Amino acid sequence: MTDVPISSLRNFCIIAHIDHGKSTLADRLLQDTGTVSGRDMQDQFLDNMDLERERGITIKLQAARMNYTDSDGKSYVLNLIDTPGHVDFSYEVSRSLQACEGALLVVDASQGVEAQTLANVYLALENNLEIIPVLNKIDLPGSDPERIKQEIEAIIGLDTSKAIACSAKTGLGVPEILQAVIERIPSPKDSLDEPTKALIFDSYYDPYRGVIVYFRVISGRINIKDKVLLMASKKSYELDEIGVMSPDQSKVQELHAGEVGYLAASIKAVSDARVGDTITLLNSPATEPLPGYTEAKPMVFCGLFPTDADQYPDLREALEKLQLSDAALKYEPETSSAMGFGFRCGFLGLLHMEIVQERLEREYDLDLIVTAPSVIYQVNMIDGEVLMVDNPATLPDPQKRESIDEPYVRMEIYAPHDYNGTLMSLCQERRGEFIDMKYITTERVTLIYELPLAEVVTDFFDQMKSRTKGYASMEYHLIGYRRNDLVRLDVLINAERADPLTTIVHREKAYGVGKSLVEKLKELIPRQQFKIPLQASIGSRIIASESISAMRKDVLAKCYGGDISRKKKLLQKQAKGKKRMKAMGKVEVPQEAFMAVLKLNQ
Amino acid sequence: MAEVVNAPRSAYLHIPFCHRRCFYCDFPVVPLGDKANGTSGTGSRSIKSYLGLLHREISLASDGPPLSTIYIGGGTPSLLSPGQIKSLLDHLRNQFGFQDGVEITMEIDPASFDQRQLEGYQLSGINRVSLGGQSFNDKVLEQIGRRHRNQDLLVACELLKDAFKKGNITSWSIDLIQNLPEQDLLTWENELINALATGAPHLSVYELSIEPGTVFEKKRIQGQLELPNDDLAIEIMRLTSSKLREAGFSRYEISNFALPGHASRHNRAYWSGVGWWGFGQGATSAPWGMRLARPRTRDGYRKWLENQEKYGLDSSLDVVNARPMAFDDQLIVGLRRREGIDLSVLASSWGWDINQRKTYLPSLKSRWKKAIKNGWLKHSGERFYLSDPYGMEISNQILVEILLWWESLPVDAVV
Repeated sequence: MTDVPISSLRNFCIIAHIDHGKSTLADRLLQDTGTVSGRDMQDQFLDNMDLERERGITIKLQAARMNYTDSDGKSYVLNLIDTPGHVDFSYEVSRSLQACEGALLVVDASQGVEAQTLANVYLALENNLEIIPVLNKIDLPGSDPERIKQEIEAIIGLDTSKAIACSAKTGLGVPEILQAVIERIPSPKDSLDEPTKALIFDSYYDPYRGVIVYFRVISGRINIKDKVLLMASKKSYELDEIGVMSPDQSKVQELHAGEVGYLAASIKAVSDARVGDTITLLNSPATEPLPGYTEAKPMVFCGLFPTDADQYPDLREALEKLQLSDAALKYEPETSSAMGFGFRCGFLGLLHMEIVQERLEREYDLDLIVTAPSVIYQVNMIDGEVLMVDNPATLPDPQKRESIDEPYVRMEIYAPHDYNGTLMSLCQERRGEFIDMKYITTERVTLIYELPLAEVVTDFFDQMKSRTKGYASMEYHLIGYRRNDLVRLDVLINAERADPLTTIVHREKAYGVGKSLVEKLKELIPRQQFKIPLQASIGSRIIASESISAMRKDVLAKCYGGDISRKKKLLQKQAKGKKRMKAMGKVEVPQEAFMAVLKLNQ
Repeated sequence: MAEVVNAPRSAYLHIPFCHRRCFYCDFPVVPLGDKANGTSGTGSRSIKSYLGLLHREISLASDGPPLSTIYIGGGTPSLLSPGQIKSLLDHLRNQFGFQDGVEITMEIDPASFDQRQLEGYQLSGINRVSLGGQSFNDKVLEQIGRRHRNQDLLVACELLKDAFKKGNITSWSIDLIQNLPEQDLLTWENELINALATGAPHLSVYELSIEPGTVFEKKRIQGQLELPNDDLAIEIMRLTSSKLREAGFSRYEISNFALPGHASRHNRAYWSGVGWWGFGQGATSAPWGMRLARPRTRDGYRKWLENQEKYGLDSSLDVVNARPMAFDDQLIVGLRRREGIDLSVLASSWGWDINQRKTYLPSLKSRWKKAIKNGWLKHSGERFYLSDPYGMEISNQILVEILLWWESLPVDAVV
């Protein structure tokens, strides 16, 4: 495989918004180049995780190598590096882009450019990638390629005179795309003779071979006989295997500058071979690593507790295993008088949190209580100490603290201008500060706000989508900490403080949040055999209260011979529900209730 | 035949025909149209062909002791002619024999029979009638999709009262549904007053439950079904309990009320853990302790029957496989009765020795502690029973604990 001349290599990725057809196009490219036969084709071949396929979104990067012969009979090797399309994973996107010389910018020919696309295009431009605009789904009746071209020119400033119209679904325009990849994307720089540097753009954990590292050789070569050094983790390994993804892994002896491949070296955890790290040779190392490496920092935190205390060791084991394949996942033990033993976990964002939770429940068969997500607060104490608090329940008492700073993000929202009003009021409700509003076209607007991250990690995204019938898209990044008048809002269930429901809110919003929180809990906690008072408090001051009246009626109307089995099934369902509830004091609280704070607007 | 403690002395026959399907009904029934009957016109051929299957199934049954109770339910069994009923009962008598004083109940619907027909049924052997009254209010009857009206119900009650007085039947009952849409305390009290005024010595009062696939479920999903809230529902249920108690009725099971001597023996069989035969489409049997539900469709039932004939009886129908009803099931159904259950007696008959009883029973009692403290579950010695009305209103809370307890026991204790 190393006999591929650098001039015949093309490395590219696809930038697209969710639903704009990235995965379908990637599948089509694999099929048209004969990399995957039509018979083996499952929809969305590159989306490996079940979760991704179910949701039609790409979370995890995959890469594929394709052989392509152009009309003049010249052979090429094309490496497609797929990128995740979600805001939680923008660091991974930036590393993938760094591994490419070009990108296909895929835009839905009826919907136009979306926020996340734009953020990624800018990243691509910063990395000096050649960008080929592709207008997808032109077979659909609502498509308007000319309008979308103008939009791309207006927003991004790209020349769209050579944009390619295609339908990944029907295959229309796909040969033109392949030809454009050859003609317009430059081949990698010839740096065969420089010291070896390879960029890790993805990795995953394989229980049999250890971590499988995906990388792009930027300079020099890597041979199967080499010992490699990972420059950030400072760990060195003998290689068990190197190879290419076509798209199944196939072993090779050597990979050289410009090529994309994988390696296995009995690496124990993904955290030893992080995305962005530089691979070099142990015996003749490069002096400088590739730029841009950072460690993933969790932004969103929540508590994970087993419903059944006996599952605590299983949960710990599952988290240990998951961390082998997910370097961004952080966790530490958390004990709560209300909840018993569990873990405080840190995630890149809400989607990441959901993925981990689902994997724990699906792959490890655990019943979990997940508490509402929180951000990390900087608490300045009177004695001068600065605490980072990721669990609202552990926020020190007001007498001891001087002030609280909270993380802020800069948020860009793209939407048709009809929705300006509703989006601005959403941002205002969420304590947003208006920064700018730009008309990108006569129809579409960018709103720029600075918002507390805590207000974004609740149901901001859902609200934005529902208020705009799904037309708006958003992108944000952290811009630093700001001081605000924040208070700890506690919830008391049956007069006992329910730690996992504690939240940190702005003083001015505390009353409203407290009131809707207890109202929501009243809906979510089933009636029990006694009356349950629900209260929200700031310190010792009760600001809202409700109560759940005692259950009075729970009986099977009739039960004769034929009914017995069916009625027993109903009871069994009820028993199962009871088992899935967490006992807090005398009160049994269902899973949904711990997320109540996210549902206040529903 | 080996001595089997719980041998079947009861038989249920399912007649899956109705004039129409009521809005709350999810039973396996075939609506034949408002004018149908078993001998002529619409649907009579369907009824005849079904009765053919039913007779074939009865013929297949293995030996069993003489029957002490028979219940012909549906559906609307009064769509059948007295002759058709007679032939079914004759068949059962030939097959098993009848005990002296056998109770033979038939469900009949108002506006589906007249005096002559009723007399015909009596001559065929029917001695107890359960009348599908449901409500005495025309508006309500229309709302729930019933075919009859108040006047029809009153006429039917007069006929039954008269037959009872003459000794042609030994008892009769009216079904009522409480917590129907728009029901309030006043309208419900009127229903009770009307029911008591008929002189019926037995009343079955069911709470409306919304079953999957029914018209009511559809309406509920569309937000068009306004049911009494829990607080009103409980007042309605308590009114039933107190009003009927005042009138001398005993609540011998959660939804059944009877004057002394009028409790249905057939119903009691279901709740006591003994076996029963079940024949017909969608019917459930448990002659020797194992339950078997027949297919709910005609075709399914026909095929099932053909297979029984060709390949031999389902194992649950064979005395060789006799076993007691599962312990948890016995507790669940037994607690529906006024007298409740005797834990120690049931545990012994389940086969637990003294050590097992000492090991396993206390954990159930401790799960019931709250219910006992609240006065919902009462006990004298080892006999536990639900209080009326409080315990009966929330009985599921107590039953769920049984299931959780049962699940927590070691495997050798539960099989």
